[in-house]
Amino acid sequence: MTTDGQLPGPAQPPAGTGPEATGTPDGEWLRVHPASPFVRGWVALAAITFFFGRDLFERTLQGQPVFEDGFARRAPWLLGGGAAVLAVAVLGFVLTWYFTKYQVSGGYVRVNTGLLFRQHRQARLDRVQAIDIVQPLLARIFGLAELKFEVADAGESAVRLAYLRIDDARQLRATILARASGAEAGFGAGPAAGAAALPGPGSPSAASFAPPAPEAPEIQVLSVPPSRLVGSLLLSEQSFFIVVGGFASVVLSALTDNRAFYFYLVPAALGLAASYWNFFNKGYNFTAAVSPDGIRLRYGLLDTQAQTLPPGRIQAVKIAQPPLWRPFGWYRMQVNVAGYGTSGNAVEGNTRTILLPVGKFADVLAMLSLVLPDPGTDRPAEVFAAGLTGRDSDGGFTTTPRRARLLAPLGWRRNGFAATDTALLIRSGRWWRDLVLVPHQRTQSLAIHQGPVARRFRVADLVLHTTAGPVAPRLTQAGLDEARQLFDEQSARARLARKRQTTEQWLRQVVPAVEPAPVPGTPVPGAPYPGAPAIEARTHYQQEGQTHG
Amino acid sequence: MRTEAIDPPGIDWQRVSPKYVTVRLVEWALANIAAILVLSAPLVFVLLGWWRWPPLWLAITVPAATLLLALWRLVLIPRQVRAIGYAERDEDLLVRSGIFFQRTMAVPYGRMQYVDIAVGPVERGMGLCTVKLHTASPGTNARIPGLPAAEGARLREQLASRGEARLAGL
Repeated sequence: MTTDGQLPGPAQPPAGTGPEATGTPDGEWLRVHPASPFVRGWVALAAITFFFGRDLFERTLQGQPVFEDGFARRAPWLLGGGAAVLAVAVLGFVLTWYFTKYQVSGGYVRVNTGLLFRQHRQARLDRVQAIDIVQPLLARIFGLAELKFEVADAGESAVRLAYLRIDDARQLRATILARASGAEAGFGAGPAAGAAALPGPGSPSAASFAPPAPEAPEIQVLSVPPSRLVGSLLLSEQSFFIVVGGFASVVLSALTDNRAFYFYLVPAALGLAASYWNFFNKGYNFTAAVSPDGIRLRYGLLDTQAQTLPPGRIQAVKIAQPPLWRPFGWYRMQVNVAGYGTSGNAVEGNTRTILLPVGKFADVLAMLSLVLPDPGTDRPAEVFAAGLTGRDSDGGFTTTPRRARLLAPLGWRRNGFAATDTALLIRSGRWWRDLVLVPHQRTQSLAIHQGPVARRFRVADLVLHTTAGPVAPRLTQAGLDEARQLFDEQSARARLARKRQTTEQWLRQVVPAVEPAPVPGTPVPGAPYPGAPAIEARTHYQQEGQTHG
Repeated sequence: MRTEAIDPPGIDWQRVSPKYVTVRLVEWALANIAAILVLSAPLVFVLLGWWRWPPLWLAITVPAATLLLALWRLVLIPRQVRAIGYAERDEDLLVRSGIFFQRTMAVPYGRMQYVDIAVGPVERGMGLCTVKLHTASPGTNARIPGLPAAEGARLREQLASRGEARLAGL
């Protein structure tokens, strides 16, 4: 259950580190918690146990003697071999731990790993895209946590520190975010402050010579009740196909008088149970909160995770509603964040990109007010409602022209776009409703595509490119003139938005849209208040819209 | 067939070198001749009486259809090459390609992460190169093939300096 079950060892470059650490001039080099190799390595130990245990188990089942006759003679060899393997594994873990060092100073986080293959990684703090505190079950029992942050200036972007004590991890997160946001002035004072903010594994607390960055206060915005999560799982697309598949196999076996069809159901059911469990485990107790550092998402039943998405780091948002969720008015939100899409583990990448596993329209608005503090329109609730459920030109959307209705007989009245001052909204789908939002300043590049059939109907597709992730913004079958105009306008809007965004440190940049200057201690503007998030979000949206609409 | 271009009107497109047709022809020949040879093997075997299974008509149809398709692609190559174009605007680079499946892409200078030049063996022989632009998005698949080497180097320098001047965060 460790997030990466990798076995440390000299052969694996990422796992170990370089002793050249001592040569680095500034900052204090720290090690992760001494217990971390064992928390990390328990998978390996479990695997060894399983390997030998299964053999014994099978022998017992088959009625064979657990120990063969010749066992007594071989026992010393076996025990010796086992002990050697164990010793090598433990030594590997310990060496890995010993050579893993990290340092926060001067606007950079540096992590050294590797015994034979040394790796020295350095990440710019103002490029931090997201920062997660992950607690697998075992780490949670020991009060440890893994700190993981995505930095968008390297190919392999995640920097991991596993494991720190949970308090230290929080402290380090606060420090990194304070540096990254520019709240803590003076990078020159970096080394001392950075080192002080990070108590070493052994030391009880931070040294006294510099105050550690305080943890930014946060306000809870919404939470997902477990009943709704279960309901959403039961009514997911997956469940639909299960019911159809189960029904089909029962009918088939009845028709053909062949029992074999039932047997397929057993492994299928096991796999599905695992998949449901995974969703439930990851989605359980989902809460979203807001702090000056950004959006905090917490979730997990056994393994808990706390993600922090700094303001303005979200590249694109998708709000989707499968048909079965419609009677309940539930929606799911996913985001693209640089670095999330490229994480090696697909399942992990999937869960991390979920902004809201299931929520009502009010929750969606509340989350949107965090993601896009300035909706760029007078009537955000109306526009987003039109984007989610509307058709035709509700809410200022431009849809596929009538002449092309043969290309999308169901969806042509839904497929469309609307541009606010800050974001482009692309909606699609009659049954599987989708709404994609791309903030103008996050557009990477854009393209128009047109195939021969589309040309016959004088329509074209507009594709916006964003970082890798679950959201792929594509406006399908827009009228050619509208698409061409949007292509030009969108280039211009993206250009203006980029000019407005001057620095990567979000507390320093001048954003005209935001009313009070956000300083640590006050909630981010756009944050609805805990009492009635839904109404607050909506009214806030309306007020804000009027101030600069 | 006269088709209406999808790109914004009034743009002065730079075209790639006509020599790029030769590069495409060589690539075409390598890919298609090999494919047709492989697909014709059953026909030969059937004619020699070694194989019984593919009926003669099938053994003839498959390579013939492939050949027709390949010839059609061959005819299109010069037009496809002529359709490739790029334009440096003040804030972004436009790249267009395709006749049947048209694509026009705008890559803002501020979004370019890096620009690289690739030269294949055939291109090298013709003195051509391919310029590729990369942004933070894997979807930005902007490549301009068939540029004369000098023009490619100039474009890369130009793009790099413009990108530096306008570089924005993600």
